[in-house]
Amino acid sequence: MNTDQIGYLLRASTSGAVAGCRVSELELPQLGCMLRIPQAHGYQVYGILYDMHIDDDGLVRQLVTADSISPEVIADNRLHRTVPVEISMIFAGYQQGEHIFHLLPPRPPLTLEDVYLCTPVEMCAFTASGHFGYFRHILRGTDFPAAEILASHLRQAALAQLRQDNPGWANAATQEVITLLRDDYPTLMNVLAALSDAQLMSEE
Amino acid sequence: MTDQESPYIGYVVGGGLKNNLNVRLTVPASQVREGSFVVVESGDDQFYGLVTNLQLGATDPRFADEQSENRFPAHLASLLHGQTLYTNLEVMPALMLDRGPDPASPDYETWRAAHPEDKSHAMPVKTVPAHHAQTRNAHAGDVAEIFGNPLKKGNFIVGSTREHGHPICINLDKFVQRSSGIFGATGTGKSFLTRIILSGLIHHDRTSLLIFDMHNEYGFDDQATDTNQKVPGLKSKFGSKVTLIGLGAGSKVRGLSPDSNLQLAESQITPEDVLMLAGELNLRETSATTLDALVHSFGRESWFHEFKLLKNGALIEDEKGKKIPAPDSVAYWANQNGVNAFAAEGLHSKLGRLFNLSYISQKPPNNALQEIILTLEKGKHVVLSFGDHETDLDYLLVTNTLTRQIRAAWEKKTNDFRGKNAQEPRPLVIVVEEAHKLLNREMASQTTFSTIAREMRKYYVTLLIIDQRPSQIYDEVMSQLGTRISGWLGDDADISAVLSGLASRESLRGMLSRLQPAEEVLLLGWGVPMPIPIRSRRYDQQFWEELLGDASAGNQTKSIDTIMGELGY
Repeated sequence: MNTDQIGYLLRASTSGAVAGCRVSELELPQLGCMLRIPQAHGYQVYGILYDMHIDDDGLVRQLVTADSISPEVIADNRLHRTVPVEISMIFAGYQQGEHIFHLLPPRPPLTLEDVYLCTPVEMCAFTASGHFGYFRHILRGTDFPAAEILASHLRQAALAQLRQDNPGWANAATQEVITLLRDDYPTLMNVLAALSDAQLMSEE
Repeated sequence: MTDQESPYIGYVVGGGLKNNLNVRLTVPASQVREGSFVVVESGDDQFYGLVTNLQLGATDPRFADEQSENRFPAHLASLLHGQTLYTNLEVMPALMLDRGPDPASPDYETWRAAHPEDKSHAMPVKTVPAHHAQTRNAHAGDVAEIFGNPLKKGNFIVGSTREHGHPICINLDKFVQRSSGIFGATGTGKSFLTRIILSGLIHHDRTSLLIFDMHNEYGFDDQATDTNQKVPGLKSKFGSKVTLIGLGAGSKVRGLSPDSNLQLAESQITPEDVLMLAGELNLRETSATTLDALVHSFGRESWFHEFKLLKNGALIEDEKGKKIPAPDSVAYWANQNGVNAFAAEGLHSKLGRLFNLSYISQKPPNNALQEIILTLEKGKHVVLSFGDHETDLDYLLVTNTLTRQIRAAWEKKTNDFRGKNAQEPRPLVIVVEEAHKLLNREMASQTTFSTIAREMRKYYVTLLIIDQRPSQIYDEVMSQLGTRISGWLGDDADISAVLSGLASRESLRGMLSRLQPAEEVLLLGWGVPMPIPIRSRRYDQQFWEELLGDASAGNQTKSIDTIMGELGY
């Protein structure tokens, strides 16, 4: 498996997908990070991670009732568990050749497609393309804490952009968020509170 | 930053011709002030307008209610405020100018064919700019386009725009075509502004001025009441161009001798002059009949003198010892001429105030009224100082008598010019201070001034009225004023009076009450292309240097402090 690959696709729709991965690969992805699912002919789908779901299995249910669990057992259970960690993503756009679109992908990727974590360069290329059109996919979400996801995503993207010598990105992104949400006072306040907690500006 | 780099300050977001334009401000509100002259660029058209209001707004009232700067980091709060809190300008569009397409564009030739004149002229606003049309502060070129090039003859700088100091001119030739008014509460700089405009008119030399100087402040040098600085008079600066006349024989003006004195001859007082004083003298309705009988009995030139000589209440005894009116009494004359004796005696008694005036004599040494008219006809300017004669009766009688004769003279000259190809009359401006005394609702009908304001424009005579209570001036006169220049006014009625007859007066009302006293004035009316508040020009050494040149300005006696300062001490 490639070092940036975090797992395989479990299921997908036109607006999002769920990937399965092993616990050992959980150190790389974090809430709000960008994922990509390469397809054939230069087409790849981009997503933003909004949930990581760790389900129990039969053995875990038995183990948690034990008086004590040895470290070896814990490590073995995590390494060899039969139920994968589920990573949920919303689709934020896709790439066709050299063009990046902040639109929902024309067709969802198929199961067992490789799912990769975007590198900072890839993240910068996607987030700097267009005019933050992919924000609307995040803000539209009702199944997840959009404010938290957005704040986490902006923090990571701003850091990446800063390292790519684009310090103005965070400002522009924040302004766009405010523009999109200025008619929705409660949501905007939530997002700004999250951005404030994310210390987005102090990264600049 | 040069003028040409004026940044845009906002963009049009709404409004209309009736309700003014709304412009969303994109710069801090502190950079724009009420009364700012702004330009809206919309396609080929350029709209010129005045900021009449600044209104704070928010996309949601909760953004304004909550002090989010206490909740979020400063940078984040700043971004939030930038997007959700805003200031809207209310812009009163006044004029528009069709600039035409870019000369390099293919449409230019077509437009040029339809507009063969070399210069397009601003015209009253007939439409509105498009949404999001960019708005900017007017630069010097815009100001000159609308208010005239200061370097062009006839354009006289009266002040400058408040924000950027671009010179604002009035066209003196246009200014004198209709009556004008200078208003402002006491201490707002009316007299200084009047001096400035009078100096401009005298220097321009296309008009004669007759100044009724009630407080003796325009002729010789005066002293400013607030700063105690010397204030040059018109006579001091313009010398022989200005004739200073004092009222009454041997009268002095500020301790100095005027060029001549005005003494009225008894023969110059007509029944019409007396009837114009009906209010002041509290005359009865029978007075006109009595005056008619006096003229019939003694003649038009002698009635005043003869009536004055008659004795009021003089009686003699007849053969039977019965008391009857003496032959030299008013009652005797009345009985002989079929006039009610009591009415005649009442009139005589009331005219006693005129009989006792020191400046009316039977045979004055010269015909001063005629000399004043000749002086004005020659193109000189007359300052008539009232000296110690400060009563309303003095002011009414002298101004009325003089103005009535001037009116007759100029009407004749104009008729000769139109009918007999005689020389065109020289325009005359009659400057009236404390105008409410002559032009209030009660007096206006008694004086010639209301007639001048209404009708004399055709006969080359107009008024320049100066007053602190415009609400006291007769509406009919106010409505005739072409150019109005007003300093700060606090009284609602005064503000309404100054703005009467003007469109957009509601927009200008607040502006007038917020002018800075002694510093700013509002120009408005027919004589200026659009209303505008300005920082008025200073009546100082620099003014004279700019108007007359260094040499003439230097005529002023310098104080020791000034000389020492110039020498570096």
